[in-house]
Amino acid sequence: MLLTETFGDGGIQRFNRTFLSACDRLDVECEVLSLVDVESARSRWNAPASMRIHVFARNKPKFALATSAAILRGGYDFIIVGHINLIELVALNVWIRRHGRVLLVAHGIEVWSGISDSNRRRSFAAVDLILSVSQYTRERMRDQLPELTTERFTIFPNALNESWIGRFALAEPVELPIPLPEKYLLSVTRLDRGERYKGIISVIEALAMLRDASIHYVIAGRGEDQPFLQQVAQRFAISDRVHFLGSVSDSQLARLYRECAAFVLPSGKEGFGIVFLEAMFFSAPVIAAREKGAVDVVQDGQTGLLVRYGDTMALAESMNRVLNDTALRSRISANGRASVLEGGPFTFDAYVKRLADIFNVPLRAKDA
Amino acid sequence: MCGIVGVFHSDGKLPDARLFASCVERLRRRGSDDSGLWSDPNVRLGHRRLAVVDLSPAGHQPMESHDGRYVIVFNGEIYNHQELRSRLTPADGWRGSSDTETLLEAYRAWGVDCLQKLNGMFAFAIWDRLERRMFIARDRVGVKPLYYGYNGRLFAFGSRPGAIAPLLGATGSDPDPEALRLYLELGYIPAPLSFYRQVRKLRPGHYMLIDARALNIARYWDYRHIPPDTTLRNRPEGELVEELDSLIRQSVRLRLMSDVPLGAFLSGGVDSAMIVAAMKASGVSAPKTFTIAFQEEAYNEGPEAAAIARTIGVEHVTETHSVSDLLALLPMYVEEQDEPFADSSAFATMAVARLARRHVTVALTGDGGDELFGGYHYYPLADRLSRMTRWPRGLRMLLQGVAGYMPNHRAKLLAGALRLNGGVEAFNYLRSFAKDFPPLVTPTVLEQTASSRDWFEQAAASFALDLTSAETGMRLDLGFMLPDGYLHKVDTATMAFSLEARCPLTDYRLVEWAMRLPVEYKLRGGQTKYLLKKALCRYLPPDQVYRRKRGFGVPVAEWLRGPLRNWALDLLHDTSLTSRLPLEHERVRQLFDLHVSGARNAHPLLWAVLMLLCYVARHDRNAELPDFGTHKAA
Repeated sequence: MLLTETFGDGGIQRFNRTFLSACDRLDVECEVLSLVDVESARSRWNAPASMRIHVFARNKPKFALATSAAILRGGYDFIIVGHINLIELVALNVWIRRHGRVLLVAHGIEVWSGISDSNRRRSFAAVDLILSVSQYTRERMRDQLPELTTERFTIFPNALNESWIGRFALAEPVELPIPLPEKYLLSVTRLDRGERYKGIISVIEALAMLRDASIHYVIAGRGEDQPFLQQVAQRFAISDRVHFLGSVSDSQLARLYRECAAFVLPSGKEGFGIVFLEAMFFSAPVIAAREKGAVDVVQDGQTGLLVRYGDTMALAESMNRVLNDTALRSRISANGRASVLEGGPFTFDAYVKRLADIFNVPLRAKDA
Repeated sequence: MCGIVGVFHSDGKLPDARLFASCVERLRRRGSDDSGLWSDPNVRLGHRRLAVVDLSPAGHQPMESHDGRYVIVFNGEIYNHQELRSRLTPADGWRGSSDTETLLEAYRAWGVDCLQKLNGMFAFAIWDRLERRMFIARDRVGVKPLYYGYNGRLFAFGSRPGAIAPLLGATGSDPDPEALRLYLELGYIPAPLSFYRQVRKLRPGHYMLIDARALNIARYWDYRHIPPDTTLRNRPEGELVEELDSLIRQSVRLRLMSDVPLGAFLSGGVDSAMIVAAMKASGVSAPKTFTIAFQEEAYNEGPEAAAIARTIGVEHVTETHSVSDLLALLPMYVEEQDEPFADSSAFATMAVARLARRHVTVALTGDGGDELFGGYHYYPLADRLSRMTRWPRGLRMLLQGVAGYMPNHRAKLLAGALRLNGGVEAFNYLRSFAKDFPPLVTPTVLEQTASSRDWFEQAAASFALDLTSAETGMRLDLGFMLPDGYLHKVDTATMAFSLEARCPLTDYRLVEWAMRLPVEYKLRGGQTKYLLKKALCRYLPPDQVYRRKRGFGVPVAEWLRGPLRNWALDLLHDTSLTSRLPLEHERVRQLFDLHVSGARNAHPLLWAVLMLLCYVARHDRNAELPDFGTHKAA
């Protein structure tokens, strides 16, 4: 497996860890080359024993050499490319053909544009199957490369990692950097300048429009855009009700999810939106934007509410509905939770089953 | 067209009645026909009226509903009020024919939702005596102004910040730092800020509810998320032209509702020509049109405007001035602005308003066309600059170094542009007066405040996705520069002469349609306002439509190097004025020298500083304006 990063906080990193856990469950042996990670980060995740994870601390030449060496050595049933940026490295495999199939994971925004230049296009010849996290991502790729027929794709939605659930289910109530307000809306996201499409600004504006001034807004996650967003809250004269927590630990996050009145992330460009699943796990009603991959995750009116991206009036109205309509709230939070629990589409079991089909290996009986 | 003012105090500690009456008086120019006051234990309302619809006393304000429950003060026009009347059945029938009465009944019937049904320009307040709650709203695009202040107990609102400042104990001598910074970057003060710390401007498309418990502000109309509709590309262009033309005619026809004589400004440009053509097509028999012509060839659109009037077949009134005559309007300009305002084209607007008022009470204008249909030259530039920001960093740095050494103004501008990241920043660079000049406000102000770039980025973050830089720029202009710059200018300039301006292109149905229109119908092949010009071709021959646009401004750059140089120097060195502002005075003077030397053009920024100093002189020191009669252009 060629990965960009395995141990970090972002969505792709978490996807990678879930993927590795699933491989472990299927007794599939993995050799992992991870470009960005450093040795010291390894301790942040308790990797399954069957994984051989090599880290390269951003050393691209070394990473490329190791990849080529591995491909030349041969003997893998599958080569899994975890990120489009690594795709050129497997082009070599087309000539040598010493391995089975090449799989590419398509997460979201990284493949929504810029994959049609001639180099990239050629590299796609080496890919046998694309694992696309959402239908939207698949369609965006096909818009750029019409030669990619639907048969070259499989929709491979994300799921909550088993170990994540294990840790969260057991999490003790922990202290948070601020006393939690009684009633608050929650967003969990990176706050990067380049990621203003996440819709935090819209939430702040909509919060200012709510008549109920006892509602607060808590944002977990850090990034260089925080001072700017603080300014925005100040401008709407609600900075006393908008709280930026920065990075929080998993157990702190669990508490935030568990106690929030609703989880709100009206993002315009979510490839999938694993945070929606996390919120659903804790029965938090979810409000998202009717855009991109979020549509696959949140069923409007069933497992959450969808609003038009950037429509702050609709957002304020949805927030009002979730806060005040008890029947609606309990319905969507129950349905949301069901979709990440046993039998639902976003469970780890369902994920493992999808992966077993791809690898064509038998499902192992679940550990007793 | 009127002026309104009001106060609310939940414990009844209202300001003195005489003070309040003097505040209403400050709105005299906004309405010369009538005035009225109303009060109860918690509220005072005041109104100055310019009678345009229902000239009878039945249109007097503040107006109570027939049962006495609601009281309203209202500035503006509800153009579809006849249609609304047909859907309303007041218990005791209608008393008069004014749109004010219609508005009262609309609120009674539909509550806050009445806003969705109104088509017009308005700022109004309705006091519900039963619920003890005040409902205040401003029109969707921001044609009519509404300022307010709230200190936790006392709430005041009005058409001018100067009319409510005394009620809140506010003065302009301690300006809001962010307003000051943005003013020097943009030339106007974007809502919700005002120059007074204690006063705010209600943003367009918003309403407020105030009672003893809370003040709540919410948006009721939003153009920002309406995405361009790509399916329009599949329709024949002729169909789109027809649709646009008919929408404009509808908007104009609605705005012909009036019981007084009515005309239009005609500049020689596309927008005002379109309005006049639509007036004529709507059956106005002989609409009067007004143009200010200049003796100086470079600024004179007089002949073009006259030719357009002849082709369309309307009566045309021209007044010819020397450009420098406009300076005589400066004292009045400063007097009528309660906040510093730096758009020098306001002089021409005032002159044409003065001319029009001699003949009519209501004039239609073409404002809004540039923002909606892509009229400004910098829209295509924004796209080009934003492509440049994607060049490799090394290359940009190299070019920046080269351009920075070239002695010409444009090369220096280019050098500044090469430093930019992203489309919104590129747009801000093109719009902002500050360009790459060193900041003129003190470091403390810089630290406390957000820049225009921050404001634009915040706004752009909530637009429909996947817009080009030019489209983003148009939407930003629609949200900021149109209401807070141009519509403010038109409102103030026309009010100064008790003339009512109506802007058909700001009709919300047209705005929504323009948002859906893909960008290639606005900008195409270097041409601006592509589709609007096609529509105008139905009324005018191509050579009158596709002319080179002349600057509507006055020659500030040359004035500052010549006839106004000494006047400007006097102001810049008057420490009794400059010491009142948190500015880097040495930098200001250096910038002036740089401009006078001809090495750079910094006149928009310098003009903003000079207007700021004039404002301080008039409103704070309450002195006569520095006399530039002696320096006046020959």
